[in-house]
Amino acid sequence: MIELKDSGVYRSALPMKRNGKVGNALFKIAAFIAAALIPLVVIMVFVVLFIEAYPAIKTFGVWHFITSKSWDAVDNHFGAFTPLFGSIYVTLWAFIFAAPISIGVAIYITELAPHWLKPIVTTAIELLAAIPTVIYGMWGLFVLAPVMQNHVEPWILDHLATLPIIGFLFNGPGIGIDTLTTAVILSIMITPFMSSLIKDAFSLVPEVVKESAYGLGATRWEVIRKVVMPYVSSGIFGAGIFAIGRALGETMAVSFVNGNNHNPGSLLDMLSLLNSVTTITVTLADEFTEAMTHLYLSALFYLALILLTISFSTLAIAKLIVWRLERRWKT
Amino acid sequence: MEIGKKMENVRIKARVIKSNIIMILSTLAALYGILFLGWILVSIIYHGYEYLNLDFFTQDPAPPGMPGGGLRMAFIGQFLITTIAAFIGTPIGIMAGIFLAEYGRGTWWAIFIRNLADIVISMPAIVIGAAVYVILVAPLHSFNGLSGSVALSILSLPYITIATDEMLKLVPKEMREAAYALGAYKHYVIKKVTMRAAKTGILTGVILGLARMAGEAAPLLFTSFNNDHTTFNLLKPMATLTITIFIYATGPYHEWHEQAWAAGFVLTLGVLAAVIIAKYLVHGGSFTAPFMYVARRMTKINKG
Amino acid sequence: MSSIIAIENAKIDIRNLNFYYKKGLKPALENINMPIPDKKVTALIGPSGCGKTTLLRCLNRMHDLYPGIKYEGEIIFDNQNILSKSTDLIILRSRIGMVFQKPTPFPMSIFENVAFGLRLMGINNKTELRDRVEAAIKMAALWDEVGNRLHENAFSLSGGQQQRLVIARAIAVNPEVLLFDEPTSALDPISTAKIEELIIELKKRMAIVIVTHNMQQAARIGDYTAFMYLGKLIEFDKTETIFTNPKEKLTEDYITGRFG
Repeated sequence: MIELKDSGVYRSALPMKRNGKVGNALFKIAAFIAAALIPLVVIMVFVVLFIEAYPAIKTFGVWHFITSKSWDAVDNHFGAFTPLFGSIYVTLWAFIFAAPISIGVAIYITELAPHWLKPIVTTAIELLAAIPTVIYGMWGLFVLAPVMQNHVEPWILDHLATLPIIGFLFNGPGIGIDTLTTAVILSIMITPFMSSLIKDAFSLVPEVVKESAYGLGATRWEVIRKVVMPYVSSGIFGAGIFAIGRALGETMAVSFVNGNNHNPGSLLDMLSLLNSVTTITVTLADEFTEAMTHLYLSALFYLALILLTISFSTLAIAKLIVWRLERRWKT
Repeated sequence: MEIGKKMENVRIKARVIKSNIIMILSTLAALYGILFLGWILVSIIYHGYEYLNLDFFTQDPAPPGMPGGGLRMAFIGQFLITTIAAFIGTPIGIMAGIFLAEYGRGTWWAIFIRNLADIVISMPAIVIGAAVYVILVAPLHSFNGLSGSVALSILSLPYITIATDEMLKLVPKEMREAAYALGAYKHYVIKKVTMRAAKTGILTGVILGLARMAGEAAPLLFTSFNNDHTTFNLLKPMATLTITIFIYATGPYHEWHEQAWAAGFVLTLGVLAAVIIAKYLVHGGSFTAPFMYVARRMTKINKG
Repeated sequence: MSSIIAIENAKIDIRNLNFYYKKGLKPALENINMPIPDKKVTALIGPSGCGKTTLLRCLNRMHDLYPGIKYEGEIIFDNQNILSKSTDLIILRSRIGMVFQKPTPFPMSIFENVAFGLRLMGINNKTELRDRVEAAIKMAALWDEVGNRLHENAFSLSGGQQQRLVIARAIAVNPEVLLFDEPTSALDPISTAKIEELIIELKKRMAIVIVTHNMQQAARIGDYTAFMYLGKLIEFDKTETIFTNPKEKLTEDYITGRFG
């Protein structure tokens, strides 16, 4: 039996402090402004870039600029084709290298790794993601490029360049500073993100769903490919797009091992992995502080605007597709 | 019947073999990832360690091509710029995250901002630098450290916002309700209860955002640029570790390369240490690192 | 059909209450008319989804935290309709307190948890705080167990202790009414018994409303019992009557376990 004594707690009918009201409103306003800064910053960046790019837009137009391969500082004639092509092409190859690796890593972590090894591998992947991109670039330049130049690329030149039909992919000087090395570095950079996202997506699938598939006699791979992946297709798709977005916008990891070559030659030459091209980011990084004329600088801003637009719309479209996919699967 | 069974067995065997092959390939993929991590780390340690000495931290650079000297200006600049960027970006990011989680949940405005933040996080960093150049460098006719801080803070803003938002959403609604039931104003509940409950997670997000900021170079290229002397003047160009690495590594001098490695060593060590500390702050290290949940949001439509 | 007895000086008087979680949808509460007697325990019972928790949360307007809801009718407390838009919710909630199903200690020390409501009211004087916190903890029958470690984190307490801490927190501000939402459903039998004892003592000072899905609990500690079904109040009477001689057939069916 609990013994309660009246401890003399006295009543007060009304709370004594009433001034919280003003602080309440102020806090809400501050939070609102802070949140509003995000769209404001986005708009500001677009507007600023557009204003700076305008002289170039007026001079070169849109279609002409995108398809022109010239990049002549003397004649003041600029075209976006080469860096634009380079950005997309390098990203494409980086994705091709990174995608199967990322899926493989995700499969390993979720299905194969012994219990004690899981956190180690997961942490290793996350550390890879945390390494600053300058370091990737520097390492690529000092360590990877020589390896590519001295060991890998001679082998490719000897054996793959003479293949019919796809041989053109492997023609080129092979000095280690080229699309191939860039793509490899970039792929190592985006793999941690992609694999972590895919791994997280995989873990969302309930055990019972997988068990039912096994119960029907499916092999491990079949369960993954036919049940798990469709289940989280939106997540995997998002992971891919996110990785592509990151690769497109990457400057540092790319500029060390890319030559900023504005004149790679014919289209066939540009497609070669052992040739070097340039990307929008590398062009910007190398030439921004060197641009002598106003038009030159404006053309660079034009490039930046194009990159921003591509990056932004890719991600926005991806979000839309993810939304559609989710609506279809999750009733 | 017999033949049919035999065919079936062969088919099944083929499926199993295919599955096993892919599992082996997956293991190799994981090995590939760890191999590269190891290779990169070992390279950094091997090349960077030997050039570390006290001068490295305390001296400004020697004339190009001459041995000796250090990167004091880069360390100081990096510290200054990153710290100021943190001071700018962190409170704004946290307040924005509070708005998304506590005030705007479910409203179309908040959904829009949240999904926008997910996109903004992936915007090319160099482009942000270019924009800040127009606003903060051109008018002042000089590269300056402050613009570098602003550029970095813009980069970190969506990151911290999202981290705060996610962590606050994890706080159970009963805890909030209990605070309201005692007769508290909203901002009081947020400050005294919700934020405190999410404290560790938010701190982790901030540390990781900081680590990410510290590793950026591209946005600094046209803002804080570089300086070969130590300076504390934010209105003048300022050196940073990352930019220095970029310039030195792509430069012609062997001494510069050595110093770039050493700088890379210190930078990587710092960033990795921050990440590991942040990870172990949250429940002593879990599989789903908070670092990745930020990216994970990209794959969801955030309805609030 | 519903049978509701009348009460002299009800602490709260619920009149013609309709409640909608979303405007335009079917009402979650329909035409509730009920008194809450002062200094007595009123138990709300009924099958899952009958609206008892919904009704409870109307009394301190907890629903207002979520958009889209609609009240109709009146809830009279201290001669005012607390459903009117001009009601100051902050003041209301300091006079009508609530204890939830899950123990929800705040992420702070035991002392700070109990002092939370007091600080809200503007009490910052160290001595006064200490006295009132001590009084509340003692009243919640928790002092013996935590008196010497008030500055430890509240999460270090067991489930039953946490729930008593939460009760101490709620009574520290001296509410006139205390609402309990299935306070013991997550607790073991011994903690449950302690809290039931506590409630019986507390009713000497304030009106208590307790939602419970455990009929035996209602029979044990309720002075009055209200039986609800599908958002409507079926019967309200002295507990004894409800359990031994219910007026409505529906009530009788529920009591005897014909549906759960």
